[in-house]
Amino acid sequence: MGMIGQHLLNGLMQGTIYGLVAMGFTIFFGVMNVIKFSHGDVLTLGAFGGLVAVWAANALGLSVPLQFIVALCVAMALTAVVGAGISHFLIMPLRNAPPLNMLLMTMMVGTAIREAIRLFFPNGTNPQRFPELLPAGGFNIGPSFFRTDAIILIIAGAASIGAVYWIINHSKFGLAMRAVAEDTETARVMGINFGRIIPLTFALGSITAGFAGMIYALYYSEINYSMGLLLAVIGFTAAIVGGLGNIWGAIIGGYLFAGLQTFVVAAMPSMSDYKNVFAFVLIIVLITWRPTGLLAERGSERV
Amino acid sequence: MTSLSNDVLLESRGLTVRFGGLFALNELNIDVRNGEVLGLIGPNGSGKTTFLNVISGVYSASAGKISLGGIDITREKAHNISSYGLSRTFQRSRLCLSLSVFDNIALGAQRTLNNGLWHNVVQRKAFAAEARKIAEEARELLGVFNTALPDKLFDPAISLGMIDRRRVEICRALIGKPKLVLLDEPSAGMTHDETDQVVDEILGIRKSLGGLTIIIVEHEMGLIERVTDRCVVLNYGKKICEGKFRDVAADPVVREAYLGQA
Repeated sequence: MGMIGQHLLNGLMQGTIYGLVAMGFTIFFGVMNVIKFSHGDVLTLGAFGGLVAVWAANALGLSVPLQFIVALCVAMALTAVVGAGISHFLIMPLRNAPPLNMLLMTMMVGTAIREAIRLFFPNGTNPQRFPELLPAGGFNIGPSFFRTDAIILIIAGAASIGAVYWIINHSKFGLAMRAVAEDTETARVMGINFGRIIPLTFALGSITAGFAGMIYALYYSEINYSMGLLLAVIGFTAAIVGGLGNIWGAIIGGYLFAGLQTFVVAAMPSMSDYKNVFAFVLIIVLITWRPTGLLAERGSERV
Repeated sequence: MTSLSNDVLLESRGLTVRFGGLFALNELNIDVRNGEVLGLIGPNGSGKTTFLNVISGVYSASAGKISLGGIDITREKAHNISSYGLSRTFQRSRLCLSLSVFDNIALGAQRTLNNGLWHNVVQRKAFAAEARKIAEEARELLGVFNTALPDKLFDPAISLGMIDRRRVEICRALIGKPKLVLLDEPSAGMTHDETDQVVDEILGIRKSLGGLTIIIVEHEMGLIERVTDRCVVLNYGKKICEGKFRDVAADPVVREAYLGQA
């Protein structure tokens, strides 16, 4: 019984990461009808950017909280710039090309980012230790032990999900984004600068990946060049299960996947290495049952 | 032909749009005068909607020149043209259905909104005030059309009936205080009575705004006769006749284009 707290915390932690990644997929699909397979590698890039920022901040003698802030800002800024760049220089010019070309392009960009990290980052083939920047320790509630850093990260992750949701629904940028998602031509005629909104949208979606990368790095204290691969597959799955194009669906999908994984680990500890296998099998059953996702895009609803 | 400088709001000269070998518009010269309602008529496929699409920046011109209020907009992007004071409706209803009525109308106000990051993120009070102002204006505009509509301001657009959707679309076109409004078949998808009603409302609003210039594309000739000051008739992308509706309707060339007989 004492493990319930840990399982719960672990599940929430992973759910937050998956939800953030899935939200990116769903945003990109919503506005551009594109599955951006480089999303996971942008996440990796964010985490490595954060790591370099920590090293630099440490060398400059900054305090640990400042190192944390610097790392977070660098990770988010880096992913925002890379995301906006990918959309401006690669996705926009290809927007009238067949969807498969776009898909192929994003996969190649992802591979290029991943390989660049592996080859050019010092000792990049091996996992890198990520310094612990959050307060260590924790507390007990009954027989369960709760890590303080995990609690902080879950709250921060949930807050960032809320923030993105708020931006989409309560700002002029969000309105422009939703209008572009629904009907690009009308949005343009109404005075929305399509060429500006799309890169900004991709920047927003990529920032969530950067944030997820940082949460991953801080929680597991270790990052590697291919960490984004599985996260992207899971995030993409979560977005599909939730109903691609639907923000809530993506978030629910993320927590659902984490819930399935956690259930396997909790119920059959000896099988925990197979948690992804079980989770994916259950997901396959689920999408067979609900092919359009749990919360399908309603008619023409997007993002 | 030289334009009457200040009097002309929109001017097209030698405007040509080609789709492959097809001339959708062929060397079109059209003047739209300040404050007039210009009817654009012609058989199906004569280039009426193409004309609206090219001046609103949805299509680009293959040749020729368009100017709006003296500014050359031939190569401008759609969102810039909108900022010069041109707005439009579409033949098929093009509301963003999942968005609320307010969101849809606010889209039309883009050119008057402050889109600065500082304003949007930090000056939330000013932002809220601006949103309230738009809501107020939207309520007022909607009220002119249908007194029940202002109460539906925050309902999703999808919940409205066809005629109300068209009204919202017209409000969206008007809220940015445009100089020129393009109405593409406002009667499409509506009954005769509904059309009459909407047109009366448009004329009423036009009077209250004062000096709004309108280009209207329409098949419903009764409507054209009632609302337009002047008509331009297109056929195969060329202007074949121009003048008051009554004169145009009596013109043998126009009759031939419509009926296929002299």
